[in-house]
Amino acid sequence: MNKSNIFLSLLLIFGVAISALAQPEISPERKQAIDSLALEKVKDLGKYISIIGNKDTPFSEANRVIDRALELFADDSQMGVSSLNRTEIEYYGVREYFQRLMALNYDRVKIDWFNIQYISDLVRQPDGRYVGVITVYQRFTGETDDGMKYVDTTKKDITVYVERKQTQIQGRVIGFWDVLLGDIRVTETKPG
Amino acid sequence: MRETIAVAILQLICVFGSAQDIGSYLGDESFMYAETKQVNQFFRRFNSEEDLNGKRLYKGDPNYRSKTFRANYIKMLFDRENKDITEKLKNDFIKDVADGPSPAFLDYYGGRWFAEVDAKFIYNGEPRTVVLFLELEKENLGIKWVINSVYFYPFTKMFFADSTALTKFLHPMSHELDFMNLIKVFNDPNTVEYYFDEDFKPDFKTLFLYEVKQGNLKFETIEKVSFHFFQLNNWYFQLKEFNRQGNNSGWLISSISKIPEDQKGMLLKYIHYEK
Amino acid sequence: MKSLNKILILVFIVAISAGEYSCKSQKKIAAEEAAAATARKIAKAKADLEMLLGDNTGLSLDEKESRLKVIKDMNIEDAEVQDLITKVEDKLSREREAQMAKERAEKLAREREEQLKKEGGPKGLNDYFNMIANSSNLATSNRYINEALGQFASEDTPVLIIISKSGNTVDYDRPTTIRRYLEYLKDQKVNRNKIENVVYDANGKITELELIKK
Repeated sequence: MNKSNIFLSLLLIFGVAISALAQPEISPERKQAIDSLALEKVKDLGKYISIIGNKDTPFSEANRVIDRALELFADDSQMGVSSLNRTEIEYYGVREYFQRLMALNYDRVKIDWFNIQYISDLVRQPDGRYVGVITVYQRFTGETDDGMKYVDTTKKDITVYVERKQTQIQGRVIGFWDVLLGDIRVTETKPG
Repeated sequence: MRETIAVAILQLICVFGSAQDIGSYLGDESFMYAETKQVNQFFRRFNSEEDLNGKRLYKGDPNYRSKTFRANYIKMLFDRENKDITEKLKNDFIKDVADGPSPAFLDYYGGRWFAEVDAKFIYNGEPRTVVLFLELEKENLGIKWVINSVYFYPFTKMFFADSTALTKFLHPMSHELDFMNLIKVFNDPNTVEYYFDEDFKPDFKTLFLYEVKQGNLKFETIEKVSFHFFQLNNWYFQLKEFNRQGNNSGWLISSISKIPEDQKGMLLKYIHYEK
Repeated sequence: MKSLNKILILVFIVAISAGEYSCKSQKKIAAEEAAAATARKIAKAKADLEMLLGDNTGLSLDEKESRLKVIKDMNIEDAEVQDLITKVEDKLSREREAQMAKERAEKLAREREEQLKKEGGPKGLNDYFNMIANSSNLATSNRYINEALGQFASEDTPVLIIISKSGNTVDYDRPTTIRRYLEYLKDQKVNRNKIENVVYDANGKITELELIKK
């Protein structure tokens, strides 16, 4: 390796290090935009769930929506579910969770949102990504035509990973926030 | 008058507009506001770093870390159903951390707080609880939770459980017989540890890892989580989640004690099931 | 008198011979001059053509075309010049095509904008977004999606969504494609973004779409 190569690689190493160091400070305004984006992904997920759970949704369409919903998640994400009479966590892979939902075959599935959400700080992980947790409350109503009705209210603590990434779109460098959902802790709660 | 109506209509549009945006909203969520929804929120409420609606307060906001706000907030952060936490104890605590000349704040990155997790494992075919203690550790520019201590009841039964211990030693002339008497040491696996040096202390972390790697301990699920706070001078408290109706729910102080700094070591040992 | 005649004849002869002589040299000069002029013309034509081939004339396309016409009308018989003329012709026709395409695209965009302004004009992109988001029927939304896709160069046309702008910093969401975005509208039943910028190609098809959070 000649001198200029060494210089170049040093430059590259420090270039990367500097950009990594430059990342931590996100202004409150930008953080708010990221928070809203993350919250939007959570709401998107809710809509996908109601499409998947609805019997009227054609099979192919439900599968397409499952794929779309899975794209919201980081790999290996799991749902950890507990109920009022079973407080231990039951684990489901996200795909498995969606497939079970599809198999439930309610005639109508409604996901209602309580008008409250809580967004934690974004904390930096050793790998440079940020992680936060968004807490939302949902009421799930599943109804069949013969009058069977299942209702529960759950608190969902949803992991959110945020990473600053760059990509080229038609020769232009675009800096974007990649927001991915991670594990979800689902706790049944007593409302009101 | 006209303006008022216009404003009212605008507000209606806003409400319906946003409701349509994200599915229908449900009413009566006051208990959800009151609930301390995350440990993160416990920190923010304790420090008065968010307003009553959960909106983050930043440095420079008059209510940021405000003395009066904190006194009220902290009062809400105790488990009201625990009668051992008396009004006097609460007031002493608030006076100490919020009212005094040098108020004390909780710092997520500040150390001296850790998690205690009861996890269900299958041990040789039987469900057993393993208690894992986790703390935050910095790495690179980030931070992560690490397991720094393990308690597993079956391990404790393995060591120093024999009452006839006094006779368990290799006599001082054993060397003259090529230590042939070691055979008696290992004849009874339950008492081998008595033949070890005085400083020997079984290391549960290593034992635990060994059993996991051997496939004898298999993770099942999480049973319980709580947090221990030693960060505030002369105080210790435990944080637990209360999933219940009403306004006193979520992550709350489940027990608290005033304890001099030099006695915290003993309490730490006790929490970690050490003798 | 006789001698005068003689002299006259002599002079005449001399004159003729002299005339013969001077006529010959004048022809030569004229030929040389013509050759020089042709050479100058060729040189000038070459220089002009090369200038037209280069891109810093500062001339409009019309001006460039009329310059080329002047040179062509000179009918210069020179292989190099002819070669350059072909090259310049090629270049200018490409420029002409591009300009026409641009004008077409601009005209289309203008028309679209006018259509958007018109009440109930269903061809505007934003109308499609709303129609897809508000449709409660799967078949109808799929039809709208296919119609809307017709405005794009491809299904994979990139869609960028701005989540915040502060000063020079623009933050985007993860880039997506138009098909995915239209399906997103169909699934989510809400149009949360408005159009910030549209890039068209020569055929008036959209090659890039930039949206911004409402």
